[in-house]
Amino acid sequence: MQSNRAARRGGLAALAALTALTVITGCSSAGDGNQSGAGDGTGPIEIWAHQGNDAEVAALQATVDSFNSSQSDIEASLRLIPADTYTQTIANTPADKLPDVLDIDSPTLASFVYNQKLSPLSEYVDQTTIDNATPGSIAEGTYDGELYGLAQFDAAIGLLGNRSILEAAGVTIPTSVDEAWTADEFADVLEKVAAVSPSGKAIDLREGGFSGEWGTFAFSPLLYSAGGAILEDGRASGALDSDASIEALTTFASWKPYVASGQDGKAFPSAQVGLLWGGHWLYPNAKAGLGENVVALPLPDLGNGAKADAGSWTWGIGASTQNGKATGVFLDYLLNDDNVNAMVEANGAPPATQSTFADASLYQTGGDLALWGEQLAKACAADAVTDACVSVYRPMTPGYPTITARFGSALAAVYRGADPKTELTNAAQAIDSNFADNNDYK
Amino acid sequence: MAESALAPAIAASSSRFRRVRRPRSNRDDTAGILMSLPAVLGLIAFIAVPFFAAVALSLFNVQVNQIRPAVFVGLDQYIRLFTDPVVSGAFLRSLLNNFVFAIVVIPVQTGLALLLAVLLNRKLRSVRFFRTFFFMPVVFPMALVAVIWRLILDRSSDGLLNSSVSFITGGLVPAQDWLGSSATALGSVILLSIWQGVGFQMVIILAGLQDIPEERYEAARLDRANGWQQFIHVTIPGVRNTLIFVLLLTTIMAFRVYDQAYILIRTGGANENATQTVLYQATNALSADNNLGRASAISVFLFVVVVIITLIQRRMLRQRSED
Repeated sequence: MQSNRAARRGGLAALAALTALTVITGCSSAGDGNQSGAGDGTGPIEIWAHQGNDAEVAALQATVDSFNSSQSDIEASLRLIPADTYTQTIANTPADKLPDVLDIDSPTLASFVYNQKLSPLSEYVDQTTIDNATPGSIAEGTYDGELYGLAQFDAAIGLLGNRSILEAAGVTIPTSVDEAWTADEFADVLEKVAAVSPSGKAIDLREGGFSGEWGTFAFSPLLYSAGGAILEDGRASGALDSDASIEALTTFASWKPYVASGQDGKAFPSAQVGLLWGGHWLYPNAKAGLGENVVALPLPDLGNGAKADAGSWTWGIGASTQNGKATGVFLDYLLNDDNVNAMVEANGAPPATQSTFADASLYQTGGDLALWGEQLAKACAADAVTDACVSVYRPMTPGYPTITARFGSALAAVYRGADPKTELTNAAQAIDSNFADNNDYK
Repeated sequence: MAESALAPAIAASSSRFRRVRRPRSNRDDTAGILMSLPAVLGLIAFIAVPFFAAVALSLFNVQVNQIRPAVFVGLDQYIRLFTDPVVSGAFLRSLLNNFVFAIVVIPVQTGLALLLAVLLNRKLRSVRFFRTFFFMPVVFPMALVAVIWRLILDRSSDGLLNSSVSFITGGLVPAQDWLGSSATALGSVILLSIWQGVGFQMVIILAGLQDIPEERYEAARLDRANGWQQFIHVTIPGVRNTLIFVLLLTTIMAFRVYDQAYILIRTGGANENATQTVLYQATNALSADNNLGRASAISVFLFVVVVIITLIQRRMLRQRSED
């Protein structure tokens, strides 16, 4: 019995050592600097994409089909992956198993570049395609001075207003980004709108999602508007916990008494509240409920001009493609006017190429979302924010998952009454600590 | 989850037969090994390997999906869990939450399950209906339960709980932010967890109750024992081993609470500080910090805590065989 147990222990120890060895070597030998090859511009190419809504899938499939029938040298095949596991799937796939072409949620692009999963585009994509990209598309696709992603469409964030409720409340309705409500004006607007809204509340902030990506996407621009930032020179301390950032979240938390808590998102389309903090994807529903009463407004201006987030899915080339030329031809085709128009018609998003954006009636003068179009035309990256720019893209860093998790937690806690200084200081320290653990992602 | 939890009970009952020694032929051995092979391979592949991998990984600074080599850091991940101010604040709070959760849920849920089981162990006409009714929440996935309770606990005055409270008290109590306020957030999570889980324990205890021979109650009645005395001196001893099993099961479940905390924090506006659990911290270390080493260290630590508590419980409630 005794010897039996000893033998068993020995077996377990051996197993432990073996597992450890497998795990460690498995981790370190995952990629040895995969190099892409240009190929001769013919042959099969594989495309991975997240499975968006049905209309988006149909538009993408139609693009791939028409690409295949338009020429005979390249055979593109499309593989759809469920959207909620898409980023994880890419993250867990070794670089040499990745496809030739893939779409990427833009805040995660930097981490894929850092892990050598993407190839720079300029070698393979036609220069006219790159020149035609909107400044936003370039901003969300560039990391470390190199272009890795080009987008078909962007995302627009702002306030949606119910014109008749706003008029009943007697508030001035901004007609351009420059006329955005200031912090004081916005507080006054909330009070007046709440008084005339059927629910007794003024605005739906979709507060259930504060600690998820929604929190960072929708509310981190407040920091820039107040003169703060998330990162400065790669450090969160001194930026995220600066006085300006603290003031931004203090102002934000003061809106709570006027916020409708409904989790179903129906408060605004059913005219229970007069305002909605939302994006272009909420517009169709609002339009269906309120008709001509829907008006797009800028987010409040906390001092340095109104700022709003932007950025959506973008297209890149796998690091190990041996068919670079062919993937470039496909991306040129994917980003031409017809295919971009087909996609934005399917999902209502603002197009991310200059030629199509100029023709997007919804976002141009006279369109319902013209004001958001104006925002997107003034885009900048998170590390180059100026007073003039409105759309600020999320920070391009491999540490983005930490940033969004910490900022979301802090935002939710402050909203619930926690001290903004404490929460933001903790968040900044946690972000910096993560960067330090990863050697600053160098 | 139920299967793995039942395993110790099965092992315990089979240990009774182990003592019986029989001469065995080699053919028996071969057949035995062959037949146990699928289960053993499964245990090695899905329990032993991941566990030892977690122990090994917890000694490294290693990221998921990272092409850079892992760096050996020894016990640094464990030390940081308790001393690094950035990490330890949230971790210790989640540990505290887990203990509060366990201390409330273990007695309340087991007691409630016993009560329900006794009530439903009657020969009523509609007893099947009630048994199904109380068991139903167990069938619901925790995700669904969390979403339903998100609506019940909504902070607006139209929320189900808020409007009920306001109706009962005639408007004296104003609307509460049940999930958002640090005072009530964990209580709310405990409440919905018990609501969801109690039916499972109830069914196990019910099975135990039906094993108690009717003669014992007859004998007790002959001795003029009243209902309470019958409960204390016949029912409780009769289901003692079942209760111990349920207690162990509830303890393990209480320490691995995760789903409801995650869903309510991410989508329900629940107070993160007050409702996060150790497993939430472990997944957060992965999803937010991409820190596989720390996530493994937290998992290993949680394993040790659960083992210690289970051992203490077993010692205190040493299982007696009835005969």
